[in-house]
Amino acid sequence: MRPAVSQMIPAMRVRRVRHGECHRFGWGCVGWHLVLLLTAGALGLAGQNARLFVSGASSKGYVVGAKLPPSGVFELVGGEWLQRGFTHPAIASIDYDRGDPNVLYLAGGNGCIRATEGGRKWRITTSWDMTELLDVAVDPHHAGTVFIALPDGIARTADGGRTWRRVEAGLARKFTKTIRVDRARAGHLLAGTESGLFASVDNGGTWRRTGDGGVTMITHLAQSPHDELVWLAGTQGDGVVRSDDGGRTWRRLGALPLGETYYQVAFDPGAKGRVAVCGWKGGVRVSEDGGGTFAERSAGLPSKQVWSVAFEPGRPGRLLAGVHEEAVYASDDAGVHWTQFGLPGWIVTSFAFVPEERR
Amino acid sequence: MRIALLVLLGAMAYGAPPFPDRVKQVIETNARLENGSYQTIAARLALRRDPEWCSRLLLELLREPTGDMFWMFPVTAIAYLDRGQLTPEARTSLRGAWKTYMPYRGDTENHWLLYYSTLYLMAQKYPNEPGESWFTGKTSRENFAEAESYLYHWMNLTVTAGQGEYDCTHYLGVYVLPLSYLAAWAEDPRMRSAAERMLEWIMADFAVETLDGLYVGAHARTDDVQVLEKWNGVSSDLAWILFGTGYPLPGFSYYGFFYCVARAYEPPEVIVRIATDRSAPYTHREMKRTRHRWRFNDVRNGPVYKTTYMTRDYAVGSDQGGILQPIQQHRWDVTWALEDPRGKRNTIFSLHPNSSVHELQTYFTGMPDFLTEAVVRSKKSYDSPDKFLGGSPYEEVMQDRDTLIALYNIPEGARFPHINGFFPEDLDRFEEHASGWIFAQGGRAYIAYRPLAPYTWAVVAGGGRRLVSPHLRNGTILQVAAVSEFASFEEFKAKVAALPLEVRMAPVPSVHFRSLRGAALSFTFGQARDFRAWKPFDSPFMESERGSRRLTLRHGALRRVVDLSDLPGR
Repeated sequence: MRPAVSQMIPAMRVRRVRHGECHRFGWGCVGWHLVLLLTAGALGLAGQNARLFVSGASSKGYVVGAKLPPSGVFELVGGEWLQRGFTHPAIASIDYDRGDPNVLYLAGGNGCIRATEGGRKWRITTSWDMTELLDVAVDPHHAGTVFIALPDGIARTADGGRTWRRVEAGLARKFTKTIRVDRARAGHLLAGTESGLFASVDNGGTWRRTGDGGVTMITHLAQSPHDELVWLAGTQGDGVVRSDDGGRTWRRLGALPLGETYYQVAFDPGAKGRVAVCGWKGGVRVSEDGGGTFAERSAGLPSKQVWSVAFEPGRPGRLLAGVHEEAVYASDDAGVHWTQFGLPGWIVTSFAFVPEERR
Repeated sequence: MRIALLVLLGAMAYGAPPFPDRVKQVIETNARLENGSYQTIAARLALRRDPEWCSRLLLELLREPTGDMFWMFPVTAIAYLDRGQLTPEARTSLRGAWKTYMPYRGDTENHWLLYYSTLYLMAQKYPNEPGESWFTGKTSRENFAEAESYLYHWMNLTVTAGQGEYDCTHYLGVYVLPLSYLAAWAEDPRMRSAAERMLEWIMADFAVETLDGLYVGAHARTDDVQVLEKWNGVSSDLAWILFGTGYPLPGFSYYGFFYCVARAYEPPEVIVRIATDRSAPYTHREMKRTRHRWRFNDVRNGPVYKTTYMTRDYAVGSDQGGILQPIQQHRWDVTWALEDPRGKRNTIFSLHPNSSVHELQTYFTGMPDFLTEAVVRSKKSYDSPDKFLGGSPYEEVMQDRDTLIALYNIPEGARFPHINGFFPEDLDRFEEHASGWIFAQGGRAYIAYRPLAPYTWAVVAGGGRRLVSPHLRNGTILQVAAVSEFASFEEFKAKVAALPLEVRMAPVPSVHFRSLRGAALSFTFGQARDFRAWKPFDSPFMESERGSRRLTLRHGALRRVVDLSDLPGR
């Protein structure tokens, strides 16, 4: 039986890793690293059938050209955060190949990175005409098909990144922050742009605005694991909106205040009705009724500046949060209690749970 | 022979040795440094000195590569200056770093030119190597093709729409050095030739807007120091290196050094003459483009229209208004010539100190809550009400020769509801006149500055005073003339004070003014303006028609056409 978080006594031991041990950090290890170790009781915190990856950066003091502490993609293995691939300042999100979970796709500032060998070996698949990727979404229906959200549109590969083409016909202003492939309906996608929500039913060939147009800058999209027709979208200033018809129409969740940015939204795969949202004003808020009401769940966090939230599959109530330049925090009771969970000083841009086994 | 002598004499008028000697001086100075840096290695390798020391230091530095594209370029220079001098171990370590370290590509035009020019050259140097041997995961051939494609794309964009990071006082260096690299080390003669011609294009663009080596007029980017102290930056170093004008920086600039140690392409005579001949005043107009606007715009790169009026004594320069670049834009000023401008603040201007998440979200892809703080961590003045740097969407400018009208229409709720004006302490005269004009003399320039709203004064750290006018509808009229045009300062004041001037502030600022040159100028904030006749470059010294990709340079009987119409990738 896995111990609850409250029963653990995380030992915040910091061990310097000597240069000769750099093989544990995979590609690009140089010099000294700080590794946060948890106690034996914390081993195997990742879901039984899912590996936990995190993207982001240890950002304090970094500007382009400055020295960057280990950043990019980390995986939680046996209670340790291990770097995967190069130190990288700008990985926005992670998705995985549904045919081979050892292949990850990273939305990087310098392109879409195909990271094989469990994220260790990187190849930048895009060229100079696609930059500052904001999101990546693997199509579960079509092998080799991946979509990327760009500041100037959307692109798609159908061959695992060997070639790319733009698929953005119908978008208004093209800044696209987030993109998702409908897990139930092949060819259906949703994209969040600076001009609101857009839907495609032809695998990205064409896009049309969806919803009532009342929202503008979309920040994040999530599809319910319980009901494929239910979606949530975070926005900059217009609250959080929910769709119950597969993205055709949307309504604002009235329990959440307007005027702030909701950076991420998440469903709990283990508890129907439970959702979490996060931002910089309210921190983490959790609903048990699908968004009808919310409770603030930031007590125990060092600040309310939260960039990212995710629920761990297979562990109802297990909630992770990335607190701005503080650390990853974990809760086993949907945010009532929190424990620091590693990566001090980080900005966490995304959590990704990747299956252990090839399907 | 006669022309070459004139060029030489022009440079020597500034006390500068001939170009080859200037280049040599820069390299020698860097070779003598003991700062344990890549530049010292490059300098000594260039001079074929101390190869063992170079190898030892290189091995040490390569243990922890850092700096992204600012690491790529010095290391690439070392790779090419090696020429068999480095030890096999050092050479292997240098090559290996391109496998184990991923330098970030960055997000600005200068980042990308550094990144792709060096990736091009390193892929060329190590051809036929597999993807596993490069941080990109791509083969040598793929890296080379991608880099080549981008380089030609950038060249084509620059010679049609203009640079996005145009006329930067600091980053100018970051444009000339990669082109110098390509001109020196590209094996493809087509790329070498293109790089040389691009160097001429950029050098000419620079030359025409320098006054005794000072980079004048509007800039996409400058910094808190050089916006006031016009000499104190990389551009002055480059003016000295390239044209022999003005004064270089002590120890020379990092970018200037890497320019010299590669191709060190000598500007053609016509460009040097354009940089040095200030015998007759001229108006120079040009078109550039904004940085990529990711949000809030239908067009990624908007147009920039710049005007610079140049005399031997002063220059007045401006752009049309709006936010054309984030954070470090400089819109307009008068700058005057000085015998020795080092340590002097020889400029006057005004601006609206804008700070907004909207500005940052236009040009950057980040999300709102952290953007301003992230910028302030490296550009400390960005969110300061006292700053003298940055563009504003609430400022528009009209310029006719040495007359300039700047109007401000700042909305309620703007972060900083005032304008700042800068007046240095290094003025020969300064008087707040009963007419409402502020009269000043800087060097050989008489300056009349008319604030259009009440103001107070504040002290500027390092010297000078800040005019602070806390009125949302506001403006500045500038009228400049040479001391030599008037019998006395009193005469200048009297003539300016008598010029017909009509100002209205409602509903928006509006000015009718007859300038000292007799021009009847009318300017209203927000008025439609017709720039259809503007050309990429247009002045007595240079001309380029829209879309032509050709720049005609002329001085006296000299003519030179910089023709980039054959660039691949059009």
